[in-house]
Amino acid sequence: MNGAWNWIWKGGGIVLLAYVILRGFSTPLQPGLVTAAPSQLKLGMQTVTLTAAGQPFGKEGASLSEFTVVLRAGDQLLKTETQEVQPHGITVAVNVPGVLPSRALDAFVFTPSAGTLFLGNACFVEEAAKGDIPTSYVANKPDESTPQLGFSFPFQPNIIESIRNLLWHVPMWFSMFFIMGLGFVASLGQLRTGKVMWDLRAEAAVRTGLLFGLLGLATGSLWARWTWGAWWVSDPQLNGALVTVLLYSGYLILRSAMGDDDRVGRLAAVYNVFAFVMLVILLMVLPRYTESLHPGKDGNPGFNKYDLDNSLRAVFYPAVIGWGSLCYWMYTLRLRMNRIAYSLLSR
Amino acid sequence: MALSLRTLRNAWTVARLEWQLEWRQGHQLAAVGLFAVASVYVAFQASDQRTDPASWTAMLWLVYLFSGFTAIGRLFDRERSDVRRYLQWTADPLGLILGKLFHSILTTTALTALVLGAFILFLGWPQGAGELTKPALLVLGAWLGGLSITVTLVFVSAVASQVRAGSGALGAVLGLPLLLPQLILSTRLTRGALSDTPWAILAEYPLFLAAISAGTATLACILFPYIWRA
Amino acid sequence: MFALTLLNSLEGFFFGSGKAHVVTGVALIILAGLAIALWRMDRRLSRLEAESKESHR
Repeated sequence: MNGAWNWIWKGGGIVLLAYVILRGFSTPLQPGLVTAAPSQLKLGMQTVTLTAAGQPFGKEGASLSEFTVVLRAGDQLLKTETQEVQPHGITVAVNVPGVLPSRALDAFVFTPSAGTLFLGNACFVEEAAKGDIPTSYVANKPDESTPQLGFSFPFQPNIIESIRNLLWHVPMWFSMFFIMGLGFVASLGQLRTGKVMWDLRAEAAVRTGLLFGLLGLATGSLWARWTWGAWWVSDPQLNGALVTVLLYSGYLILRSAMGDDDRVGRLAAVYNVFAFVMLVILLMVLPRYTESLHPGKDGNPGFNKYDLDNSLRAVFYPAVIGWGSLCYWMYTLRLRMNRIAYSLLSR
Repeated sequence: MALSLRTLRNAWTVARLEWQLEWRQGHQLAAVGLFAVASVYVAFQASDQRTDPASWTAMLWLVYLFSGFTAIGRLFDRERSDVRRYLQWTADPLGLILGKLFHSILTTTALTALVLGAFILFLGWPQGAGELTKPALLVLGAWLGGLSITVTLVFVSAVASQVRAGSGALGAVLGLPLLLPQLILSTRLTRGALSDTPWAILAEYPLFLAAISAGTATLACILFPYIWRA
Repeated sequence: MFALTLLNSLEGFFFGSGKAHVVTGVALIILAGLAIALWRMDRRLSRLEAESKESHR
């Protein structure tokens, strides 16, 4: 029975990870606008090209009348004329009036099959005076089509293709907390019973968790460099992660400072229990009193909806379970190794 | 762990002993005072008497943090050798830790008076802070923040004192990450007290700090017997 | 700015826009990290094996 169960969770974890990697890389991204060129507009007639990333939103030589581009200034719409449609770009002619409610223009692209694409603050008109758009320039709001994109990941500004990192980076933290929680329980067990087997478990859990925490930090740092432009930003998630790694490094330093003292198990357990409780407090305190850049939190409101996105969910949950079982597998290996080392030592 | 009258009497004895030793030997207290005043003086020289509220707060808590390390870091050093063997037979661990925690409350009070006094004496109030409308909140915040720091440090130095070699550096390594939530709350509170943020918004900070202090103190009391019974 | 013509081929999924490289980088970091951890564990196990052989003799 035990053997069969072992095969199920280990094999299941690998199968889930294989599914996650396949799905994560082969699922297309929904189309979304990335840039507008030129971004500074003059007054009068000129052309603007909007470039998109992700799935193509139109075919080469598609009928121009199906695509409508509207620029929004304040709460008023400025009309344009579509000139050319490519799979990842659309060129329009626009006549910019001398008066606009706002100098910043948002772009909307209405497409027949990919829904409505949006780019905030696409262009700026420095010379425009403040006022209502003259009626001859105003556009009517076109009808929106429901997007038919199939199974695809949501487009997020700045994040774009790197949304796939969600399946690699985030489960590292989930796995770490899962295995650190296991270490906490093991430390409680060691304090209750004083048996060395609980101490071996706690040590294996902390070492495995620290590995996953360090991987989370390294991958998060790389991702932050791409999306936010800095290797490190002040952010509750990042600070919390760093402190977690520091706390558990402290645990290992404490162990090695004790050397072969026979009280090492109990002292390490005491520290582990205290550290875990402080960690829970810290993770409660940090997000309340520091601002976040992270998805779904303040400072990045565009990401709120991804909690609800079913396509991402269908891959993200298997990713968490798959990485979690891999993490647990590594923990059991380390535990077995610790046991052998201990039995050799105490012979 | 029954909280009996005997435990409380034990705690009282330990706290009184600590305090008496502190006064009689004198050098420990003087060392902390000298450290605090000297670092405030360095801050005073470096900042040219002109500080904005943010750096004023940062310096206040840095000085407080390291004064706390100096004051509490060696709290369990006396219980290392012969005294320890004696105490293990006579004092129960709960009484001992309660006494040390009580001592840390007194230390916090002294530290708050010392550090805040030195800051006002040398640096004055930060520039741009305007009229100081909430001096009570500033003092209360400094005291509560300091308390939450020293209580955690009592626990950390209890753990570090069990390690035979080089426990001084170990205390800092183990202590600093554990002190981060307290420091975040304390600095926000001090900055709020210096600005014109209304009382109602800041009221939750002292409550949270008090809750953290009480929580860490309870945790220290629960865990200390395991450290002590070697 | 992007190699947009590659889209819908396998390459397109990896490098369809400028920011897919970061996913490859993240995946490589994780695989390298796990490999290093396994390698270190392997080395320690070999040492333990050697020790246990010695003590059996």
